Amino acid sequence: MNLSNPIQNLLLFAALALFLYLFFRPVNGWYWIIKNNLNSNRKVVIEDLLKQLYTSENAGTLITTNDLTLRLKYKNHQIIEVLQEMALTELIVLAGDQIQLTPLGREYAVKIVRVHRLWEKYLAEKTGFDKSEWHHRAEDMEHRLDHEATNELAVKLGNPIFDPHGDPIPSELGNMAEITGSSMVNLPVNTLGKIVHIEDEPDVIYKQILAENIHIGSQIRIVENTNKRVVFYSEGEEFILAPIVAANLTVEPLDAASILEEDAVRLSSLQQNEMAEILGISKECRGESRRRLLDLGFVRGTPIQIDLVSPLSDTKAYLVKGSSIALRTDQAAKVLIKKLG
Amino acid sequence: MSAADKIIEMSNELRWRLGNEFHDEITEGIYADAHEIVAETVTTDSRKGRNAADIAIDKIVTSKIWGFPIMFLILAIVLWITIIGANYPSSWLASLLLDTIHPALKDGANYLNFPWWLSGFLIDGVYLALAWVISVMLPPMAIFFPLFTLLEDFGYLPRVAFNLDYLFKKAGAHGKQALTMSMGFGCNAAGVVATRIIDSPRERLIAIITNNFSLCNGRWPTQILIATIFIGAIVPSVFSGVAAVAAVIGIAVLGMGFMFFSSWALSKTLLKGEVSTFNLELPPYRPPRFWKTLYTSLIDRTLIVLWRAIVFAAPAGAVIWLISNIDIDGYSIAYWMIHALDGFGWLLGLNGVILVAYIVAIPANEIVIPTILMLTVLVTGIHAGEGAGVMFELGSASETGELLSAGGWTLLTAINLMLFSLLHNPCSTTIYTIYKETKSFKWTTVATLMPVFMGFVVTFLVAQLWRIFFQ
Amino acid sequence: MESKNLKSACESCPQYNPNGLKKLGVDVEKYDFVVALAGNPNTGKSTVFNALTGLRQHTGNWPGKTVTRAEGGFQYNDQKYKLVDLPGTYSLLSTSEDEEVARNFILFGKPDVTVIVVDAGRLERNLNLVIQILEITNKAVVCLNLMDEAKRNHIEINTRALAKRLGVPVVAASARFNEGIPELINVVSEVANGTIVCKPHRIKNVPKHIDEAVKKLSEALKKQFPTLPNSRWIAFRLLEGDQRVLEALRTEEFNPS
Repeated sequence: MNLSNPIQNLLLFAALALFLYLFFRPVNGWYWIIKNNLNSNRKVVIEDLLKQLYTSENAGTLITTNDLTLRLKYKNHQIIEVLQEMALTELIVLAGDQIQLTPLGREYAVKIVRVHRLWEKYLAEKTGFDKSEWHHRAEDMEHRLDHEATNELAVKLGNPIFDPHGDPIPSELGNMAEITGSSMVNLPVNTLGKIVHIEDEPDVIYKQILAENIHIGSQIRIVENTNKRVVFYSEGEEFILAPIVAANLTVEPLDAASILEEDAVRLSSLQQNEMAEILGISKECRGESRRRLLDLGFVRGTPIQIDLVSPLSDTKAYLVKGSSIALRTDQAAKVLIKKLG
Repeated sequence: MSAADKIIEMSNELRWRLGNEFHDEITEGIYADAHEIVAETVTTDSRKGRNAADIAIDKIVTSKIWGFPIMFLILAIVLWITIIGANYPSSWLASLLLDTIHPALKDGANYLNFPWWLSGFLIDGVYLALAWVISVMLPPMAIFFPLFTLLEDFGYLPRVAFNLDYLFKKAGAHGKQALTMSMGFGCNAAGVVATRIIDSPRERLIAIITNNFSLCNGRWPTQILIATIFIGAIVPSVFSGVAAVAAVIGIAVLGMGFMFFSSWALSKTLLKGEVSTFNLELPPYRPPRFWKTLYTSLIDRTLIVLWRAIVFAAPAGAVIWLISNIDIDGYSIAYWMIHALDGFGWLLGLNGVILVAYIVAIPANEIVIPTILMLTVLVTGIHAGEGAGVMFELGSASETGELLSAGGWTLLTAINLMLFSLLHNPCSTTIYTIYKETKSFKWTTVATLMPVFMGFVVTFLVAQLWRIFFQ
Repeated sequence: MESKNLKSACESCPQYNPNGLKKLGVDVEKYDFVVALAGNPNTGKSTVFNALTGLRQHTGNWPGKTVTRAEGGFQYNDQKYKLVDLPGTYSLLSTSEDEEVARNFILFGKPDVTVIVVDAGRLERNLNLVIQILEITNKAVVCLNLMDEAKRNHIEINTRALAKRLGVPVVAASARFNEGIPELINVVSEVANGTIVCKPHRIKNVPKHIDEAVKKLSEALKKQFPTLPNSRWIAFRLLEGDQRVLEALRTEEFNPS
């Protein structure tokens, strides 16, 4: 091939770059599509169907074949084939148009849920993946981890009870902690409560919640709840959400006695020359970062004040137990303080 | 079930009941103890408090107005002292090692009736490579590292990290990378070792992989020489000095651009799963103990890095001599390699000589220019230098320029050589150090291949655009 | 609560014998005692290490200079000591590599004395680590380093009261200027030889529900391994799910061999 023409060379290069991009770009790259198709064998379809049935049953709704074809990305004939096979292996009972899980099917579904939630917990505690990625990574992993590996993972994580979104993780025997609380949209104005669960599906709404910087474990007070918007105060800030978004937040009402600190605000709101006392670290701060902050002395009752502000503002150094420790704004947002008059 | 298993069972059971707060509560408990003890044993004079001078220095060096000017001023001073100060010992060492000892060794070998290949291999190959590395590398490092270490011991460097953190945060990196990067201007291997101060795994890997984008002192001379010959020549001679300096600084700044860009890209792709825990403690100022610092930085940084470079450069010298002196079908191996790579080199706006020089000079960037000159003589047949496999440099930039032009060099070749000198694989000392620090074959490979791949792409694009617009 | 007859560093006036010290560098083939050097990052731990061994590790004003474990030695009054410089850590409760190295060495390496280097100017934060180490080992010495800096910042520490409170000897030092190092060596040798018997502080402010769980576990441990000196710490670690401790339990490593 003659490569002496620079224009032709540039065009060749552009074509190659475009091809590589189409092939390997995240999510929709051909490479991933092919890989996913190779992976979507019968086992994966069965497990996805079981999980779908399990969630609907828990929500108290009955499900039909039609619903499944709408909700899952598989082809209709594939779903129907697999459903028939599942009926034969007694994972489900087909009653006319409706589908119900058998006890065996339920057990299987709980196992999938266990892997999914454990893996999310693992991603949150032991890796640096962003929250927005946990779900789809766990969706993939739930089909791949066998029983033993799952138990090993659970031990390694200290047999956790809740996943990072606040969903209970089923134990090996299928027992699950209960979540109390109700969706934020159902709570009357002036309710005091704690966010105990953030739903990570659908993705669009979850991304909005993340963008709002709403934290699990935060205490809230609802100030407005109409069919147009839900407004609440939390950690010294006001949050305004569309009801469809607020519906994905589960809040456990607190009685007056268990309200710890209503005047809790985020460390990021501390101004120079203000004195404050640390109340604790938000549940959003996990794994190594949480431990490091604790080790550095960010524990309840410690006095804190701003020592220095970086010329580029985002990073601030705080005086904690005699040391000057610099944190970034997003980290400071995860430390709760009480300002001292 | 054994007794141990029973205890483990019991601990699992208890852990389930204790819930998620265990770690937090233990730490709070320990700190509560600590607080009580401190209350009983420590008295702080509340009227005086922290040392006023420390607070004042902190306010100035991190202030919005003075923070950055002070930083740039100090960096400029350090670089200035290094470059100016290294000139004299460097030329002194060069004249001693290259102009005095080298001929003396050759004479000695002749006197002892060494066969030509043995004296060539040992003296022209191994010895010359070592001499070159030492004379170019040792003086700037012996000045740069102690200066840097003094700033470090005083406690100023953490403030630099603090000031710049926001920029690095935007690129997904750690503010302390500013320092490992500056250290890389001295030597990339030392820069990679310095990343130990970054205690967050992801940011540390980013700093290790991108350190090579800091133009190290083995590459500064290449940049300066080529810029003087080619860039300085395109402007009126009054401005040639300024133009050359601007071009070199431009390359260094471009390197920082690549560093930020690839940090950002890595943190969003390959490294996004690595754990990231940012925190930066600003230690108190400590007046450094001058002589001790000087001593330890010489021992710890300069000599260790120099030793490693020597260990790697010696075989490189041997290889360079061998490929120039072993003939296949009447031509040397170097000749065949150059011809094989000429086409690809041309596509990148370079040539076969440059690519071969970069392949055999992986161990040390210092010997790239001498190797290029020697190979140019070898393929063009011009009468210069001291023979096949003997690296050399010419007395003046203009002589070098003439030789290179005769070798077919153009302004494009020069620009792309400067770019490629910035964007190519780390030297083997650095590669080895990266492996030692990461203990990972994977990350060492990424750190090695990513820059050279970027170099290919950038020089390719520049070459094509150049040929479209200027030819 | 601490026994009255405890000898702290100051009470047991150092009969320091300067001629008895010989810095051995890395030449530590045969030794009588192993001394571990622990401490927070940037407390001058490496300076203390250098002062004791005559070695010259680089010591920067940075947290986290020493990453790998360094070893050296010294000889004092005809006894040879091997000194192991552990990576600087803020705590021993987490999962980072550094902390695992430090924790496992103190727990399983069973050093004869653990010297905890502490920044006198930041005592409260440093005590976090001290208190944890005192849960693991009975033979410890606290080296209150950077006294010069603390003074500059107008911080005064009652070392006698601190020693009493912690139940281990406390030596004030400014290792950069070699102050307090002779006293430190003397106290280390006394603890190593059993002249000073420590009765270390144990964590008090443990929430009730945790305390109950820990008691239950540690009693079970004591029953199984009667010689275990730090069953409470092992119980803490089991509750954290420390893999290395679990493994040691399974392989009966806690049994006296």
